[in-house]
Amino acid sequence: MTVELIVVSLFVVLAVAGGVMAARSRQILYNIIGLGISLFGIAGLFLQLGSPFVAAMQLLIYIGGIVVAIVFAMMLSMPMAIDPPARSLPKTIFAAIGSGLFLAGLVGLLNNTTFETRPTAGDEAWAVSRIGNALLEHYNLVFEALSVVLLLAIIGAILIARRDRTPA
Amino acid sequence: MDTTTLILATTFAPFAGFVIAILFLHRSPQLAQVVVTTSAAVALGGAVQLWLNGPAEPLRYLWFTSGAIDLYFGFLLDGLNLMFGVAVALITLCVIVYSIGYMADDPSKTRYFALLAFFEWAMLSFVYAVDLLQSFIFWELVGLASFFLIGFWYQKPSAAEAARKAFLMTRIGDVGLLIGVLLVMMTAGHFDIPGLLDPDVGLVTRLAPATLTAITLLIFVGIVGKSAQFPLHTWLPDAMEGPTPVSALLHSATMVAAGVFLMARLYPLFLAAETTRSVILVVATITALLAATMAMVDRDIKKVLAYSSISQLGFMLMALAAGSLFAGVFHLITHALFKALLFLCSGLFIHHFATNDLEQIGRSGGRGMRLTTIGLLIGGGALAGVPPLSGFFSKEEIFAALGHGGGSAFTIAAFAAAFLTAYYTFRMIFLVTVPDRIEPHTADDHHEGSAEPWTMALPVVVLSLGAALAGGWGDKIAAALGVEISHHSIGDMLPAIGVVAAGVVLAWLDFGRGDRAGFLTRIPALQSLFSNGWHIDEIYRAVFVRITGWVATLLHGMEVKGLDGGFDRFGVGILGAGSGSRRVQSGWVQFYGGCAVVVVGAIAFYVGMGG
Amino acid sequence: MTLEMYLLLSAVLFSLGLFAALSQRNLIAVLIGVELMMNAASLNFMAFNRFSVTDPATGQVFVLIIIGLAAAEVAIFLSIILNLYRQRHTIDAESITELRR
Repeated sequence: MTVELIVVSLFVVLAVAGGVMAARSRQILYNIIGLGISLFGIAGLFLQLGSPFVAAMQLLIYIGGIVVAIVFAMMLSMPMAIDPPARSLPKTIFAAIGSGLFLAGLVGLLNNTTFETRPTAGDEAWAVSRIGNALLEHYNLVFEALSVVLLLAIIGAILIARRDRTPA
Repeated sequence: MDTTTLILATTFAPFAGFVIAILFLHRSPQLAQVVVTTSAAVALGGAVQLWLNGPAEPLRYLWFTSGAIDLYFGFLLDGLNLMFGVAVALITLCVIVYSIGYMADDPSKTRYFALLAFFEWAMLSFVYAVDLLQSFIFWELVGLASFFLIGFWYQKPSAAEAARKAFLMTRIGDVGLLIGVLLVMMTAGHFDIPGLLDPDVGLVTRLAPATLTAITLLIFVGIVGKSAQFPLHTWLPDAMEGPTPVSALLHSATMVAAGVFLMARLYPLFLAAETTRSVILVVATITALLAATMAMVDRDIKKVLAYSSISQLGFMLMALAAGSLFAGVFHLITHALFKALLFLCSGLFIHHFATNDLEQIGRSGGRGMRLTTIGLLIGGGALAGVPPLSGFFSKEEIFAALGHGGGSAFTIAAFAAAFLTAYYTFRMIFLVTVPDRIEPHTADDHHEGSAEPWTMALPVVVLSLGAALAGGWGDKIAAALGVEISHHSIGDMLPAIGVVAAGVVLAWLDFGRGDRAGFLTRIPALQSLFSNGWHIDEIYRAVFVRITGWVATLLHGMEVKGLDGGFDRFGVGILGAGSGSRRVQSGWVQFYGGCAVVVVGAIAFYVGMGG
Repeated sequence: MTLEMYLLLSAVLFSLGLFAALSQRNLIAVLIGVELMMNAASLNFMAFNRFSVTDPATGQVFVLIIIGLAAAEVAIFLSIILNLYRQRHTIDAESITELRR
């Protein structure tokens, strides 16, 4: 057992456990904490997969930005004191069947597919500057489209969440 | 000045006017007027100078590169673009000057003039675009300007509704256009218009006929939306909810002509696609006839003009589809002039008498407004095709083109449409100028000041000259397009003259004397069919409601059979929820999503298990 | 860890997210499920990027774009939730059945 394997297993356990917590709990606060833990585990795996930059972005934007935004939304929308209503059993079973089928299908696909693997590229190919160049050269159109989407999201969010000044 | 400076001045002067007006001049509408008028004048000067300089090499600036695709932003300066650019700039300037008088009392003048400048920028950039994607972007911006201007009086529910309808209807067409543009990119690998049209290496030489037909048909779908052709024509009459100068500018002379212009721009592609041209010929003929019949019965002066715009756009597309670029573009230019003139005249009447009703205008003393009446006569004469006004010559070219490449059925249809055009145009003229009685209107009908202030009179004079004389510009237009034209003898023109004369005479018999009822009132079925726009709007409503109903019933069946009590809480709610469409769907999103997931999961399972 | 193990982990996470999105009553929890699914997809990209792509910038760019899109999506989703809460004082997925009308 190397140290590396232990660390990776830890991340995997974090990702899955967090995911289970996010998916199962009825308390919204635990859902959010679960999501945070899971995202943290995934960021660790990104690190393991050779990209400290993307891992850092995951931590910064996802955990630092998105999860915090969700926390705000929770505080603004739900009275914490109220006990969350129970889920109906048929619905939970239905959801479990649906996602279980999906998982089984994916596992089956994984089982029957042989993936072609290539040796990992050298350190120099993993440099952050390569990502920047790729974003602004080959994926320029995608980059521009994403910027437009973000702008629209900002405008849309403001428009939707704005309090109506005229009495309805 | 060199070409680069000129073209940049032409396209960006209106943009500068828009930005300055919208950002800084909210409190000083007078200044906004001046700024926008100046910018439009600069644009017109630039466009005219470019036209005088003659065709030049296209200018291209690399916007960005994505993968193997280079996107350019630039200006194409050949005869067609330069000519239409001048027409757009001229009419826009006329309309802006006219608006100074027309909108004098409006509280949000700054917004109005800023939007006009925005429109001019988008339209000119579309006209001069060198890159097909650039064309598409500005095509959409022009649509956006149209949306804002139709809904300019957004407090009025009918105007807001009309703006929404226009936007959605044209979007339907734009989906087709976008797919067409993307297909062009997939097959050609670039968007450069001159490159696409090149006779040696262009699209035509590379593509299988079927692909070319698909591309041109998809582009035509966009044209159908923008140029309000059947079956997407229903938005244009409603678009008359906007201010009248806007109708003159966007919804007759320039914006709706953008579709025809796009077809002329990409003409070599259409010329090579035989099937597409037959489709266009049929659609355009239906449109020309259908819209003309609707114009015969409407009492609203702007609606009559709107229907006639649809009909005339159909004429242009007929000419283009029959294989004559010259006839289509010639009519495009003359129509832009005389239709803008007609709208401005109708605006003067509406402004003064505060009514859109033809008979009302006539009875209130419409002919008392001398200049306006003369403008109406010239514009109406040109629209009807009375020699020697401009519309006569361009229509004559269309008949000749149809005779060459259209087949006799289409020629006859064109003559029929021209007859109807003459009839409804002179119906409008007679109702306004020789009313059955004059009702001296009360003093409070009067606006302050002159009925025809100079800001509104001057554009009418300019456009009257244009509409009267443009018939003689055929040679110049042909030279700009680089095509040969043959001149027609008087003998060739006789059928066209005869048709127009017949229409005018019938109109006189119906509306120049007697009860001003029109022969259609004796055929109530047709009268009601025409005045309800052939019930096309109702048909759309019925069909879409029906389809939605079917889908809902289908879902209902799935839900009842597929669940069968498992979701009793929801199921009971569903079944008890009441009657009609309410009953057939639970509205519970997670269930819909769950159904989709189960189906996808089952498929994944099947595939994953090696099925 | 091999490629297949990463893919398996990603499949598990995706199914968990799917389960959350389908079963939770609180709309925010539904959103959390969607986020989990997006992260599973990211993980897939990164795994393939490590093991079977010649230029490793490709997958990283994809993940960055996914993160950007997720931010946009969250912004819109949360503003809808807030608006909903203001108007109806609930963000329970089962009580929102407007689609039925």
